Amino acid sequence: MKTLTIDPITRLEGHGKIDIFLNDEGDVENVYFQVPELRGFEKFCEGRPVEELPSIVTKICGVCPGCHHMASGKAVDAVFGLEPPPTAKKLRELFYMAHFVHSHIAHFYALAAPDFVVGPNAPAAERNILGVINKVGLEIGTEVIKQRRIAQEIQALLGGHQTHVVMNIPGGVKKGLTEEERDDIVKKAEGFVEFSKFSMQLFKDVVIGNKDYVNIILNGPYSLKIHSMGLVDKNKKVNFYDGTVRVVDTDGKELYNYAPKDYMDFVEERVEQWSYLKFPYLKKIGWKGFVEGQDSGVYQATPLSRLNASEGMATPIAQKEYDFMYETLGGKPVHATLAMHWARLVELIYSAEHCLELAKDPDITGKELRAPIDKIVGEGVGIVEAQRGTLTHHYWTDDKGMVRKVNLIVGTTNNHAAICMSLKKAAQGLINKGNPATEGTLNMIEMAFRAYDPCFSCATHSLPGQMKMVVNFLDLDGKLIRSIGR
Amino acid sequence: MDEKILILGIGNDILKDDGIGPRLVKDLQKSSFPEGISFKTSSMGGLEILELIRDYHTVMILDAIKTKDGNPGDVYYFNPSDFHETMHLSNLHDVNFITALELAKKIKLSIPETIHIIAVEILEDMEFGRSLSPELEEKYPEILSRVQEHLQSKLFPD
Repeated sequence: MKTLTIDPITRLEGHGKIDIFLNDEGDVENVYFQVPELRGFEKFCEGRPVEELPSIVTKICGVCPGCHHMASGKAVDAVFGLEPPPTAKKLRELFYMAHFVHSHIAHFYALAAPDFVVGPNAPAAERNILGVINKVGLEIGTEVIKQRRIAQEIQALLGGHQTHVVMNIPGGVKKGLTEEERDDIVKKAEGFVEFSKFSMQLFKDVVIGNKDYVNIILNGPYSLKIHSMGLVDKNKKVNFYDGTVRVVDTDGKELYNYAPKDYMDFVEERVEQWSYLKFPYLKKIGWKGFVEGQDSGVYQATPLSRLNASEGMATPIAQKEYDFMYETLGGKPVHATLAMHWARLVELIYSAEHCLELAKDPDITGKELRAPIDKIVGEGVGIVEAQRGTLTHHYWTDDKGMVRKVNLIVGTTNNHAAICMSLKKAAQGLINKGNPATEGTLNMIEMAFRAYDPCFSCATHSLPGQMKMVVNFLDLDGKLIRSIGR
Repeated sequence: MDEKILILGIGNDILKDDGIGPRLVKDLQKSSFPEGISFKTSSMGGLEILELIRDYHTVMILDAIKTKDGNPGDVYYFNPSDFHETMHLSNLHDVNFITALELAKKIKLSIPETIHIIAVEILEDMEFGRSLSPELEEKYPEILSRVQEHLQSKLFPD
């Protein structure tokens, strides 16, 4: 009998790896995290009518298609010098809140909760969503699936398709909402609010109620003192769809609060020889290397940094939870990487509450869905907050609106330097001559990485669910000492 | 036909060879099949797959795969019990397919009793483009015919 052995590799194999360099004493000297870069998206767009881009960019990524659609829609508005009417803007935002609810639920239950509800040192086979529902109840699994499906239904209704969204057109949206549809969304959004409150309570009971976990969050090798970025509204409250980009320093003091169109004055990208993915940094400070602290140019754009960079949440329950989080963790800003999970739940509540607010808004069933086109400006920037960080789309066109050039800075790219630094810090804190690496160490290092929910080049939907991670240990001459991974 | 059957192609059709699943589904749709067979394409994975396959009795999933030393164009057949990770049945931001299936069973979601997985060995999935890589394009008629054979033998064994 012939046995056929299939050994799948992924897009990350060969490139997506973590190299940990150990010195002669067995301590961690350096850590390199390399990721692949999808090639040619800009070329793919060139020569196309710019109004086609919002629908094409949803195919960059199967994880956050709605984010690309929104950033793209805003960039296209700017190319034509248009401001969507209130109904169109609110419909876009309503769609976007459902997108956030959908994504944040998955991250919490499938990726964050297993480490805490099941335990960071539990066997890998149990550390997954099944382990979570075994502990907290089968009905929670049913509810996760149900709420995500409802969020998808709202996106499909407003977006034309839940994944390949065709909602945004220059200066507005393609279709409006009927009163019946609105009433249905109100009911669904009420369910989101209840489920998001439940999820927060679960987190408080399991994580915050456990001194060991709080200790890991605050005192484990998981803190990173860098600047924080996030989109804020006029009142400096967190906003996912619109506003200005605010950056606060490591003490929480405002460094910048700029309009999206000016992003190139504030953010610059750097290339390192050893990685395909660029490293954005704060241009006015300059690149000072992979270093923490007030003088560093490194920033992060994550759920936690969005809260750090804001003066609060725009909805009541989320605001209460925001205050409680900062009170518990010793004030603002928080630099504990694992607190990103908590911040993500505060955002889940905000998304749910804002979804409900928008559904009840009298403008939402308005008939004025787009602003008419009367000129072509020829250049436009659209910035939104994606679940994984600030997302920038920048388009240049000719005088007929045909795309000449495209520049994208996706959510995770902002955090590339921060992720590398978090990995190094976790590795240095967990591995040394007295504590050689084990399978458990791998998960503890992975926790630093997982908090960011990275989506490299929006291509990582190819990774195995139990994240395939290869950690190579090398001596300072680059000779492989050992390799562990799944 | 009483049993609802779904043929599901997964992949990103603007990411070169990654789009082989959706392309196969589009071509298979042109052949004659008994009534009641549904065809879908998607670029999603993880829990999303549950939503796509629920309420069907049988599903055949077509996806791309990259294996160590694999020959581009080779067609593999799996079922969930000997599951190997294909491109879209795995997901960093979600659970993998097997976990999703276990979850569905646990919470008594109506998912197919029979799941077939066909995976095509691919070459290029890092570059945006609407066409397959030349090596795969050349072998495409052969790939389509191999997939049709699997379909025939698994779905209509008589």
